[in-house]
Amino acid sequence: MIVFDHVTVRYADADEPSLRDVTLEIPEGELVLVVGPTGSGKSTLLRTINGLVPHFSGGTLTGRVIVDDHSTADHRPRDLATVVGLVEQNPVSTFVTDVVEDEIAYGMETMGLDPTTIRRRVEETLDLFGLTPLRTRPLGALSGGQQQRVAIASVFAAGPQILVLDEPTSALDPVAAEEVLASLHRIVHDLGVTVVLAEHRLERVVHHADRVILIDGGRTSALLDPAEAMADSPIHPPLVALSRLARWTPTPLSIRDARRRAGALRERLAAAKPTAGRDDGTSQRPSVLFEGAQVLRAGRPVIDDLSLSLFPGTVTALMGRNGAGKSTLLGTVAGQLTPEAGSVRVADGPTWAQPASLPARRRVALVGLVPQQPELLLYSDSVAAECAAADQDFDVASGTAAAILDGISGGLDPTRHPRDLSEGQRLELALSVILAGSPTVLLLDEPTRGLDYGAKGRLAATLRDLASRGTTVLLATHDVELAAEVADRVVILADGEVVADGPVRQVLASSPAFAPQVTKVLRPQTWLTVDEVAAALGRSA
Amino acid sequence: MSARERLQHPAAWWLWGLGLATAASRTTNPMVLLLIIGVCILVVSERRDPSAPNPLMAFVVIGAMVVMFRLVLTVILGNGIRGETVLFTLPRIPLPEWASFLRIGGRVSLESLLYALYDALRLAAILACIGAANALASPRRLLRYLPATLYDVGTAIVVGLTFAPQLLSDARAVRSARALRGHDGRGIRELARLAVPVLEAAFARSLGLAASMESRGYGRAVRTTPRGRRTASVLAVIGTLGVLAGLYGLLDSSVGGVLGLPLLVIGVVVAGASLAIGASRDGRSGHRRDPWTWTETLTVICGAVPGGVLVVASAQGWTGVVPLPRAEPPPLPVLTVVAVLVAALPAWFTPRPRRALA
Amino acid sequence: MTVIPVRWPAAAAIGLVAAIGALAFLWPFVASAEFVTNHGNDAPWLFAGILALLTLVCLAEVTSGRLDAKTIAVLGVTAAAGGAMRVLSAGTAGLEPMFFIIIVAGRVLGPGVGFVGGALALLTGALLTGGVGPWLPFQMICAGAIGLGAGLLPGRPGARSERWMLAGYALTSGIIFGVFMNLWFWPFLGANAPTGMGFVPGATVAENLGHYAVFYLATSLAWDVPRGVLNAILVTVAGPALLRVFRRAARRAAFGSQVAFDPSAGERASPAGEHHDVAVAAPDRGTLAR
Repeated sequence: MIVFDHVTVRYADADEPSLRDVTLEIPEGELVLVVGPTGSGKSTLLRTINGLVPHFSGGTLTGRVIVDDHSTADHRPRDLATVVGLVEQNPVSTFVTDVVEDEIAYGMETMGLDPTTIRRRVEETLDLFGLTPLRTRPLGALSGGQQQRVAIASVFAAGPQILVLDEPTSALDPVAAEEVLASLHRIVHDLGVTVVLAEHRLERVVHHADRVILIDGGRTSALLDPAEAMADSPIHPPLVALSRLARWTPTPLSIRDARRRAGALRERLAAAKPTAGRDDGTSQRPSVLFEGAQVLRAGRPVIDDLSLSLFPGTVTALMGRNGAGKSTLLGTVAGQLTPEAGSVRVADGPTWAQPASLPARRRVALVGLVPQQPELLLYSDSVAAECAAADQDFDVASGTAAAILDGISGGLDPTRHPRDLSEGQRLELALSVILAGSPTVLLLDEPTRGLDYGAKGRLAATLRDLASRGTTVLLATHDVELAAEVADRVVILADGEVVADGPVRQVLASSPAFAPQVTKVLRPQTWLTVDEVAAALGRSA
Repeated sequence: MSARERLQHPAAWWLWGLGLATAASRTTNPMVLLLIIGVCILVVSERRDPSAPNPLMAFVVIGAMVVMFRLVLTVILGNGIRGETVLFTLPRIPLPEWASFLRIGGRVSLESLLYALYDALRLAAILACIGAANALASPRRLLRYLPATLYDVGTAIVVGLTFAPQLLSDARAVRSARALRGHDGRGIRELARLAVPVLEAAFARSLGLAASMESRGYGRAVRTTPRGRRTASVLAVIGTLGVLAGLYGLLDSSVGGVLGLPLLVIGVVVAGASLAIGASRDGRSGHRRDPWTWTETLTVICGAVPGGVLVVASAQGWTGVVPLPRAEPPPLPVLTVVAVLVAALPAWFTPRPRRALA
Repeated sequence: MTVIPVRWPAAAAIGLVAAIGALAFLWPFVASAEFVTNHGNDAPWLFAGILALLTLVCLAEVTSGRLDAKTIAVLGVTAAAGGAMRVLSAGTAGLEPMFFIIIVAGRVLGPGVGFVGGALALLTGALLTGGVGPWLPFQMICAGAIGLGAGLLPGRPGARSERWMLAGYALTSGIIFGVFMNLWFWPFLGANAPTGMGFVPGATVAENLGHYAVFYLATSLAWDVPRGVLNAILVTVAGPALLRVFRRAARRAAFGSQVAFDPSAGERASPAGEHHDVAVAAPDRGTLAR
């Protein structure tokens, strides 16, 4: 179906080729997962399939890419629209209309199909993706998962036999991600569509995949069996790490498979207990205090009667579905929102301060927030200029921010434009900017969007380091694995109220939806991460 | 009678509004003009497009401001009209020699005020008709009916309309993000700091949109041939030249002024033809076209009736169509009033607009 | 750079429409007395209608080569930014800060984009705020002309003086815009307008000019100078940063970048079935590699 024949891609102003001598043959009806670190050429590989590289992006393509017997050298992407559909990462930016139905029909309209076909296809596609009850909803009113499904549906409605998706679930919470993947699974198995997708969050996807392609530095492996690929791949989900530790073969890819093998491991671990190291700090004086707080947004209470304490030197993970009030809570601590009722206070030395009523300069010395889109914080045109501006903003010695950045990221090219950086690097830059002010409370809003495992690891290390030096860290996330790795305490919000609040082990292990993979496999024992298991095995061996 | 809830074809309402505006432009009878404004308000309140904010009030306010403006200027600077009924007299301010054509202060007569009022009211009525057309058929819906030569321009407008609200909400987000770095977002310098992330984000998004449009087959349905384009270009230049020449002829009534109007009309037709010829759209697309049914035709007729009647009335000089400014109520031309009331009929027989679903 | 080339038919059309536009504004000075008395009240509407049609013709001619998706996207952002400025400044009655965006766009992306982007920014602003009124075609043509002019300004991109040149251009174009928009409204005062303010049919051009000057002073000098000054200040303060943003966007969009295919595949001596291995990193114990 898709044939790469010694394909090398070099962009116009690049020194190095982005793809080197890729030769692959993807048969029909397979769900193929492309796995690789940031910058390895995943996006380029996906975009050569429908011809965006090189027709849209410029550059030279050596070799041939043949899609359903059409060569991309002879056909522009618009000509291949009925053969290959490409879904980008951020669906909202690709919507051209206002209503779900219209968006699904738009692609077909621009291609000039006749009205009867369009109507029929719209109905079929709505059914296939479970969007029929939403058909007249405005696009802006949908949840993230629904928007992603609409984006996929609108590309699919034109009838391509191949779907290419670039990180479709990176911005979604686990439940929404599962909806999207279930839709993809359905069209592969019921309709024989070929799906090629790239994802960082392997724990959600790898058990759906039929084949895996590993890519690094522009070179790809062959089409591998998923279990084989995961056995050796440097990028793997926690489950696979556990399986390598326990030496299970073949590598299990789903929780069920792993549990079937895990009996022996559970026995070995029965006597051991995870070493402490997670201290929820309740013995100290709180650094952030919510008392019966109510916060309104557009007149409606998003947070209602919320009471919560955060303690210095701890990392707290704030979890909950999208829309539960996580961002609002963080915004209130950062002083962007004022509570309508109740109080929100931050410890300022021996006294308390209300963040919303502090002047901006004083406030940022106390509380720092890295927003959901870190690029909104950045406005300079080079990394070095951004660090210098941060030093000025917070009135600190010049070079502070740059030093912090080096520590967090291991060194970024100071002349690069911040928008040219990868997601992980941008986050690190934004974090350095905020940390230049040495706030006592650090807030992060969904930092794991688009991060690969390496960047997440560096982030986890940074946060634990900050906590060990006494900073209060509050992290809003729906990445369970990161929470398991880094948090001391977990607070779960639903509809603006606290539903669970306790030590990480207690909350994550007891909740079916929010348990990390290792916990699910080793239930009823409460292990959170592979490192804990390894440490316990090392001790008991 | 009216079918299931739907929005009428936008051209129907715009033609209706233009007909009524033509009627308003032919008369200065204040009763008729106020009646026209009333008809506009009535029809809009019954049948306006609920998905967009109502701009009619803005247009009416502008009209009211024009009336105020004219009246005040007339009071201060006087008018060419000499009237008998003097209302009051302002002190006359003497002016130097070079400004001798100006007259500040002096007698203010009722007739002069009435003249200014009638004239300004006409402008206000025309604006009300245009505002009503805006409210009944949002101009955004007209984008769908642009000729194929303007397909790309139309898409750019749609992209602009989609991005603008996002730009505004991004600006708000950046403003609160500025606070996270210790600034409170005031001052002109902050504007640059604000504009840069917002525009960078917009451009990044737009590139993604362009890639997505390209991948979804944008541009397949519209075909241009080099020959068609050349023909269109030639027609455009010739048509524009014709319009220029025609206008010149019209303005300067002495030099071949007879040629003015026909030349103008030919020029307009030729230029319009260039729009129609340059590209052809694949006729099969457009599954969401508004249908043109009898309600649309009748709506246009209801707008054309007052337009036609008043054109005839002003050409033939019926009494009361252009009343003299005298200190008495102007005569009421019954036929024109009836014609204007016909324009109110679409408030009833046209289909109700579909309410926007939550 | 020139993203949309302006070929001769488009240039001719724009030039002719500019002449017609000038006529639309200046007709009170050159019209005969007969015309004014017979058609004086209808002339502005006539001109509005004609210009509306001809604006569309101009836009069609400039874009006759079919725009590709990237150009449309860039135009869309320019139109959206201009429209958003309109929405933000709707309360400040007529100060029109959107011009500084149009000027920057024209400067970076060329006269073609400047013209289309300027016209579309006005249109988008109108669609977003109040609606389409008879003043819109005039405004679109003027804004398009401002964008076009910005694209034709000399000077090396990135030079120090660029910012001042653009600021000066913003100041003058802001004021000229006001002068012309008022010229359009002036005849609405009618043939028997208040003495000394309205035009007198048959009078000499000098006299009429004098009348117009009074009208202008009375009505909108107070708006036009602030508008010019505001746009000039915006260009001075935010101009260099925005120029960089637009230039980077143009670079990322790779307008006119070369697309090359080299089908000389299979020259490498790799027999079918052999694949390069992905470099395997050192074994690690955890998923979140530290």
